[in-house]
Amino acid sequence: MVLANASEARRSPEDILYQESLRTKWRLGFDRVIGWLLPLLFIVAILPIADLVYYVGSRALPTLTFQVLTSTSLTQTDALGVPIVSTAEIMVFATLLAVAFGIFGGVATAEYLSERMAGWVRMTANLLVGLPSVTLGYFGYFTFVLYFGWGLSYIAAVVTLAFFMTPYIFRTADLAFTSVPRPIREAAFGSGATGPQYIVRVATPIAFPQVLNGIFLAMAIGVGETAPIVLTTTLSTILPTSIYSPVSFLTALIWENFAQPKGSPLIDLAFQAAFLLIITVIALNIVVRLISYNFQKRIQGLYQ
Amino acid sequence: MVILDPPPAPASEGGREPIPPTSSDPPDGGLHRSRREWLRYLTKALALVPALIPTLFLIMIVVALFSLAGFGVTFSLSPFRFVVHPPYNFGFGFFGSKWNPSPAPGYPAQWGTLVFIVGSFLTAVPALFLSMAIGLGIAIASTVYLPRFVSAWLDPFVDLLAGIPSVVYGIWAFVVIAPIFGTLLNPWAAAHLAFIPGFGGPPGQATGVGLPITIFVLTLMSLPITTLLIRDALRSIPRDLWESGLALGATRWEVVRKISIRHGSRGILSAAFLGFGRAFGETVAVAMVLGVNAAYPINFYGSTGTIAATIFSLLDSAYGNSQFLAALSEMAIVLLAISLAVNIAGRRFISSIISYEVPGL
Amino acid sequence: MMTTETSTPAQDVVMSVQHLNVLAAGKKILDDVSIDFRPRSLTAVIGPSGCGKTTFIRCLNRMVEITPGLKVDGTVLYLGQDIYAPGVNPVLVRRRVGMVFQRPTVFPMSVFENVAFGLRLVHTEEGEIDQQVTEALTRAGLWEEVKGDLDRSALSLSGGQQQRLCIARALAVRPRIILLDEPTSALDPMATQRVEATMQRLKEDFILILVTHNVGQAARVSDRVAFLHSGRLIEVGDTAAILERPRDPLTEQFITGRFT
Repeated sequence: MVLANASEARRSPEDILYQESLRTKWRLGFDRVIGWLLPLLFIVAILPIADLVYYVGSRALPTLTFQVLTSTSLTQTDALGVPIVSTAEIMVFATLLAVAFGIFGGVATAEYLSERMAGWVRMTANLLVGLPSVTLGYFGYFTFVLYFGWGLSYIAAVVTLAFFMTPYIFRTADLAFTSVPRPIREAAFGSGATGPQYIVRVATPIAFPQVLNGIFLAMAIGVGETAPIVLTTTLSTILPTSIYSPVSFLTALIWENFAQPKGSPLIDLAFQAAFLLIITVIALNIVVRLISYNFQKRIQGLYQ
Repeated sequence: MVILDPPPAPASEGGREPIPPTSSDPPDGGLHRSRREWLRYLTKALALVPALIPTLFLIMIVVALFSLAGFGVTFSLSPFRFVVHPPYNFGFGFFGSKWNPSPAPGYPAQWGTLVFIVGSFLTAVPALFLSMAIGLGIAIASTVYLPRFVSAWLDPFVDLLAGIPSVVYGIWAFVVIAPIFGTLLNPWAAAHLAFIPGFGGPPGQATGVGLPITIFVLTLMSLPITTLLIRDALRSIPRDLWESGLALGATRWEVVRKISIRHGSRGILSAAFLGFGRAFGETVAVAMVLGVNAAYPINFYGSTGTIAATIFSLLDSAYGNSQFLAALSEMAIVLLAISLAVNIAGRRFISSIISYEVPGL
Repeated sequence: MMTTETSTPAQDVVMSVQHLNVLAAGKKILDDVSIDFRPRSLTAVIGPSGCGKTTFIRCLNRMVEITPGLKVDGTVLYLGQDIYAPGVNPVLVRRRVGMVFQRPTVFPMSVFENVAFGLRLVHTEEGEIDQQVTEALTRAGLWEEVKGDLDRSALSLSGGQQQRLCIARALAVRPRIILLDEPTSALDPMATQRVEATMQRLKEDFILILVTHNVGQAARVSDRVAFLHSGRLIEVGDTAAILERPRDPLTEQFITGRFT
């Protein structure tokens, strides 16, 4: 096996760098081919979503006039005014509730819990996030509609949606406060701050953008949910008159109308609702990215 | 002069200690000191309440489902009634195959939910395979073969898939894609692929409702999860290890296949679990493209029902019918149990932080 | 560049580096480096941090192109063939020029599979693989310690053992040249000594090129020393000559430790 000197050079066929054995040719060729094929899989993922956005847009936009957006006509074949306002109302209240639960919970976990307990609580939050939406909708049905006796109502929908959104906000609040750099945290306590003083004066300004992002992302998810709404309320064509009355919601509208006979104007309405939802989700995501970007710039110095 | 107590030692490496005690009085402050300590314990106890909110929610959900399953005529919160009281036990012929909530008068209703459990697996498992395969390919392309600036661009697009609401997927798939399956793909496959068991026979309705479109939709919906997690697992390989493989004369593909995947196998397993969980629990989109059909599909193109979609679709008609509600609740318990199991298994190996990037994860 | 080597006929040269330049964003990492490597030698490449030693050896097996942004200019001849010529695939070069890294980089597999990794790529039969694995492990000085259980996970070995496993792994594909990039810097003195002993044995059969920041190590194991400073090859020569009577003041300063 000893390869002593150059006079033995080229004894081994492998020494000739230009001549590839058949097997090596195959290996190299395979690697090259795979290098072209695998990136094509991106198309498999991106093409459907591109088609989806294109189709929804092209079906919804031609008939989407300001009139349609604001009309509150009761016939509901070309009136999105009520669903839009209803959706906004429900989102506002549900978000407020979810923010209250989520931020208090997240901050408390980040600041007051021992590492072990915090681990358990975070695991629970993660499990909640992964639950099917029907499970939460069903829970809302039992607890609020039946057990509390509110019936299929506005308030049941709001509270159920709030339950749905809370774990998301909880997680980001927890993460945001945990990511406050240790030196800053220790400096605050070293200067004699109490817990609440630290949280309000020092940590909140630092964690604020992340928490805000979390709220927007939770809203983007919440506005697209169907089960928590459909299972806890009945659909109506007018704005809610009391907290026990039926409501309208964009996703529920789509669910009600998607299987109408072909050519029905209700399907177009559903697509318009779908279009609005996509726009809302994209807009919220853009806002989140802008906030992140600004956050990065502002916070450069802190993390040295 | 300020005397400070040192903060307690961290519980684990990188762990953070809870808010430390502070005192600006001399340690032997007597009455003042005990009052401050008492206040501190109080805040700690108070803080425990909001922190336990997620746990509380989870418990509430479990209790709710069990209670509904044990529902009698009265609205009573007896979570374990179903265990004790027939016929509200996990019986009803729960695992039987016949589901008939509104039979002809004189015949008993049947609550066999096995159909739906099988249906959930029939749709979720193929979707998982497809989404893992595609996700693996995309992740390898992104981490190994594509230049960094290209993949930095393309990766967010795949993550975008997760942001689209399920109803929107549902309506697009139902209106646009399902007819293609129904009129083109299914008949073609039924004609040309009949030699594969299960692919022959009637190609299903022209609307396209059935397994193929459902698997298509579920694959798309679990794709962002699998891609993200596999990508993260592959990226975790240390540079040195990667280069060692190359230095031995291996091609990039060989290094990925033999070393990277082995190194990231835990993350990839997590991707499978969590992707499955997503596909299994998907509710609205499946309800739209599959509907609810309480029968086993006769071939690949037939339709059936899944647990999530069935509960979602039938809850309206179950209102007031306590047996019906109990049956649905028991299905919901099965769904919850599988979801929790899959989620717990899936989360064991991943750092929870990356999972925040994908909605629903 | 000053050399103090005894000259030998040119056809003896296995690898010849000629006017090698490497640029990164316009800045020169290696500046006109030329050096030859002959059989049965161990050349130590020494120099202060950042002088380009790691970049240099990575040029010899085309690993340098994995780092983005580096431009390689010049010729590196392996048995008379330019390894950077357009028709040459780096995969082939790396089978002839092996590499051992600074930290032990064992694969997450058994000891046997680690060593067999390179062999399996070219599909040798099982019996032959067995034999070559044994041979490689023996040469690396690890056979005695692992022969009892070759199937155990490579991660269960100690740091020094892992590094010798990496050497065995590199040996198994039978390269002519083995590059070692500070192979002992992550090891304790005992393990370092064993790796150095292994290197001394290996230089009987292979060409070893060792990058080290430890002048003592260079003195102990190498026949030849090449001193790099700021990307330029300042001096090359027999170890004893260079270390006792360095000609260039920079060399002398480094060896006597006046700067790192």
